Amino acid sequence: METLQQILSFDFLLRNSLYTSVLVGFACPLVGVFLVMRRLVFMGVALPQISSTGVAIALSLPLWLGFKLTEHGSHSVHALAFVGSITFSLTAILVLAFLERRGRGQPEGRLGTAYVVAAAMSILLLSKNPYGEIGWLDMLKGEVITISNFDLVLTAATLTLVLAVLGLFHKELLLVSFDREMAIILRKNVVFWDVLLYLLIGLTVSMAVLSVGPLIAFGFLLIPALTAHQYARNMRQFTVLASLIGGATAFFGFWIAYRWDLPVGPTDVVLLGLLYTIGWLFAKILPGGLWHAHKT
Amino acid sequence: MNESLITLDNLSIGYNGQPVLSGLTLSISRASFTAILGANGSGKSTLLKTLLGLLPPVAGRIDTASAGAPLTFGYVPQSNQFDPVYLLTGFDVALMGVYGRIRSGGLIPVVERAFARECLHAVGAEDFSHKRFAELSGGQKQRVLIARALTTRPDVLVLDEPTAGVDREATTAVLEFISQIRKERKITVLLVTHDFSTVRHYAEKVIWLHEGKVFHGAVDELLTAERIAEIFEIGMG
Repeated sequence: METLQQILSFDFLLRNSLYTSVLVGFACPLVGVFLVMRRLVFMGVALPQISSTGVAIALSLPLWLGFKLTEHGSHSVHALAFVGSITFSLTAILVLAFLERRGRGQPEGRLGTAYVVAAAMSILLLSKNPYGEIGWLDMLKGEVITISNFDLVLTAATLTLVLAVLGLFHKELLLVSFDREMAIILRKNVVFWDVLLYLLIGLTVSMAVLSVGPLIAFGFLLIPALTAHQYARNMRQFTVLASLIGGATAFFGFWIAYRWDLPVGPTDVVLLGLLYTIGWLFAKILPGGLWHAHKT
Repeated sequence: MNESLITLDNLSIGYNGQPVLSGLTLSISRASFTAILGANGSGKSTLLKTLLGLLPPVAGRIDTASAGAPLTFGYVPQSNQFDPVYLLTGFDVALMGVYGRIRSGGLIPVVERAFARECLHAVGAEDFSHKRFAELSGGQKQRVLIARALTTRPDVLVLDEPTAGVDREATTAVLEFISQIRKERKITVLLVTHDFSTVRHYAEKVIWLHEGKVFHGAVDELLTAERIAEIFEIGMG
């Protein structure tokens, strides 16, 4: 309890890391719900990795061009990383979604290849970057330690924007996802709504990767939504429960990691995995139990 | 009654510019019950999708006799085409029909919610509208989808094989209800089916797609034993 009091106090040294983790924990599942419903789980795996490759390339650019980065963690470095992350995320999601819609080739093969090549490229690029050695490799491994006020504000602003747009246009995004033909018949611009949804996913993934790394981003995108799906009865419950699972896991994961000196990212993801497994056992192994009776 | 609502003028339909059927010239009367009949792969779904605006015509024109605003189609797709991963209730699905009248980002007015409930009540789906759509039986899903089509306040009700995967009793109930609602609300009905008995029993007109040819006429003229034999011979010959 002492550590809990510590991390809840306003002068806690790593408070920005805690706040950012929790923000990402709440926000990622909200777009993750759409990835699960559109059966784009593999994209949820590949995107954070591709986004982190964007970060690695952006951070390598100054080195290739002969510029020197002045200070690790500075606003300019962060802005550069943000541009790299968002460029790669948005390009990847739009291209992959376009190929998916055309229905040619093997989507799983494309996403798997994109994932593994992106992961390898990130490590290769950052291992040859002196700044990468210092902190960015840690970030890519899910070490949420050095988050400045600027990073926190940028994360909060971006995720608020995503939340606002998702909330405002939820019914249009849901209609286009559930029944595209009906949306066309009702004269909705389905391409516009698809692109908007992909932009929101890309923006959230970029922000999450930049703040907490691809491992946590992937974990929070998909596992809370998959866990919530086992319990929820309707879309509202599904969305709210996924977000609450993400936010609560981010908080308790941070607490556990701080208490036992563990890396935050892997702790969060293992905790999410445990929740998912417990949920699955509850739903599947006890089919005649109270839970099943409640569900039906 | 015989006022033409939809006119197909030398229409060619198909995919990616490749025609599946060509030279379709016919008209569909306002408040009529027309069946689109044909075997699998005959072009029924392609014609339906072209009429609904889901596919562009390869050539020719579709003219509609609506004053000013384009026709509103209430579409009832096959109930088994929806992904059960969506945790939508029957009411959520029916409510989607009103989205066409609500501006993007706008809240759904209470009156529209009440109208969706009214449509669910009209099709006898009120009792199970709170249940998850994915967990409903085939017949129950069809009723919810018909309610959704009605919430669009349609000029034309379009049903794509509404009896596929639905038991005989539910099929009869669904088709009786559609006949009744057409008479009450003066709605034009387009029904896609491959079932001759359904066409004979419920439809007035038929568009029969067979072996790349199109036959159009009144049911009692086109579906006589002699005419059917003649059409099959044309197809074979």
